[in-house]
Amino acid sequence: MKRTVAQSLVLYAGLLVLVLIIGLPFWWVVTGSVKLPQEIIQRMPTMVPHSFTLKHFEKLLQSSDFPVYLVNSIVVALFSMVVTILLALPAAYAFFRMAFPGRDLFYRLILVAYAFPGIVILIPLYGLFARIGLVDSRASLVIVNVALALPFSIWMMRSFLGSVPREIEEAAVIDGAPAPTILLRILMPLIAPGIASVAIFAFISSWTEYLFASVLIVSDARRTIPVGFAGMIGQYQIDWGLLLAGATAATLPVVILFALIGRWFVSGLTEGAVK
Amino acid sequence: MKNTALALVFVAPALLFLLAVLGWPLVQALVFSFQDIGIIGSKGHFVGFANYAEVLGGKHFWFAFGRSVVWVVGNAVVQTVLALGTALILNQKFPGLRVARVWVILTWIVPTVVVVIIWRWLLSTSGGMINPLLMESGIIDRPVGFFATRRSAMVTLILINSWRWFPFTALMMLAGLTRIPGDLYEAARIDGAGARRRFTRITWPLLQPTLIVLGIIGTLLSFNVFDVIWLMTAGGPSEATETLPVLIYETAFKGYRLSEAATISVLTSIILMGFAVFATRAMTASEANR
Repeated sequence: MKRTVAQSLVLYAGLLVLVLIIGLPFWWVVTGSVKLPQEIIQRMPTMVPHSFTLKHFEKLLQSSDFPVYLVNSIVVALFSMVVTILLALPAAYAFFRMAFPGRDLFYRLILVAYAFPGIVILIPLYGLFARIGLVDSRASLVIVNVALALPFSIWMMRSFLGSVPREIEEAAVIDGAPAPTILLRILMPLIAPGIASVAIFAFISSWTEYLFASVLIVSDARRTIPVGFAGMIGQYQIDWGLLLAGATAATLPVVILFALIGRWFVSGLTEGAVK
Repeated sequence: MKNTALALVFVAPALLFLLAVLGWPLVQALVFSFQDIGIIGSKGHFVGFANYAEVLGGKHFWFAFGRSVVWVVGNAVVQTVLALGTALILNQKFPGLRVARVWVILTWIVPTVVVVIIWRWLLSTSGGMINPLLMESGIIDRPVGFFATRRSAMVTLILINSWRWFPFTALMMLAGLTRIPGDLYEAARIDGAGARRRFTRITWPLLQPTLIVLGIIGTLLSFNVFDVIWLMTAGGPSEATETLPVLIYETAFKGYRLSEAATISVLTSIILMGFAVFATRAMTASEANR
């Protein structure tokens, strides 16, 4: 379709607004993290830094607990990601490619999980973890993060599994391959984008999870970024340079992940979603 | 037959896991709501509906519920407008489209604490850039404390949360938009329909199912938002932004009234379930009428 000049104008104006709304705050944060304190609190922000310093990052990495939080967050997110994939993949396969009694009921139950505020399960879960000695452990966060990410992950696999022609599986069955082999050898490469988008969803939900991490983790040495870093806001007299450096560092890992496999996630959301 | 067994083997781990980590605590929450537990870990006694009578008889629950409704409606309106605009843009062809479709979601992939730092900084009365910008453009004549008054705190929080979530919503809407057949637009063009007419006669009606589903999911998601509110205002000023999740958190972990918190969370779940069932019914009914 050809656009008129007026329509193009509207489109590019809209794009500009979008870039400004989303990009500008991040641009200010990232550039702010290398500015000298005087420049950070200037009345009008400078678009391109006039000063350059790495002292905020130095302080962040050497004299704050941020590196500890960073490592914890990465460990918890990676484990949550792997476990989510291991549980979601076979379940999604069974839901969308096989028949079993109670299938529809189970599927509906899984979607119902989203109607409940996470905080409802926090209180009893804390008691449960306390009894089995999991409070104040990173494992407790992995367990929670997997449970929170799992329903959506299974649901997201739907469109990816649906796009694989059944003939491929049928051919494999005729050749005598047992189902687990089918899943591993034949489907895996075909649904790799689906796995990538589940991976990214699980990683991000873990990376951003605050509520459970704030209650289940007690000692500073096991805190993740959302909670530990939030504690730093008030801890020092608001040191914007330090906070901006931290915000930059907390954003970087997900940005890298997204740069690598983000497009699969976006296609997982946009293709065949909302059903 | 062998296949059925295998299917169950495939589903069982995920299902059992969800039952243990989501299902069982839900039942526990219900049990707690009939007891009188204070601090986490202490034992409680059965007290019947006493907690329910107290919660429903007091004003805290109802005020928080009211604020939750304001919060959900505000978020729905702001996010729908922003997300629809964004989805319409991302549904066009332009150089850089692929990049735009991926990175539009940047606000959603960062931890809330980053969102909080960004907006605290931008909105702060000393050194923040929003105040000077608004003053320069003549909208205000002296710096505004965005979290100083009850109303502005709620409005500001809704805008911040919408900023975080509208790209996600936009991508879901984009899914609906891409499913509208291009032939329809082509036919409308040949019939001489302008851009506005094509939007009101094709895009808008055909996007309805997507919007309704998103409305339901979005309502549940934004109702349950806790971290942005907690980290920005902790429910203040003077409880102006204390929505139900914040009230539950405060009651359980600041007030040490666990059973009362469990009661509020059970009531909240009932409200949300009721809404979900009602909305889904209404949706299927309106589809049947079409």
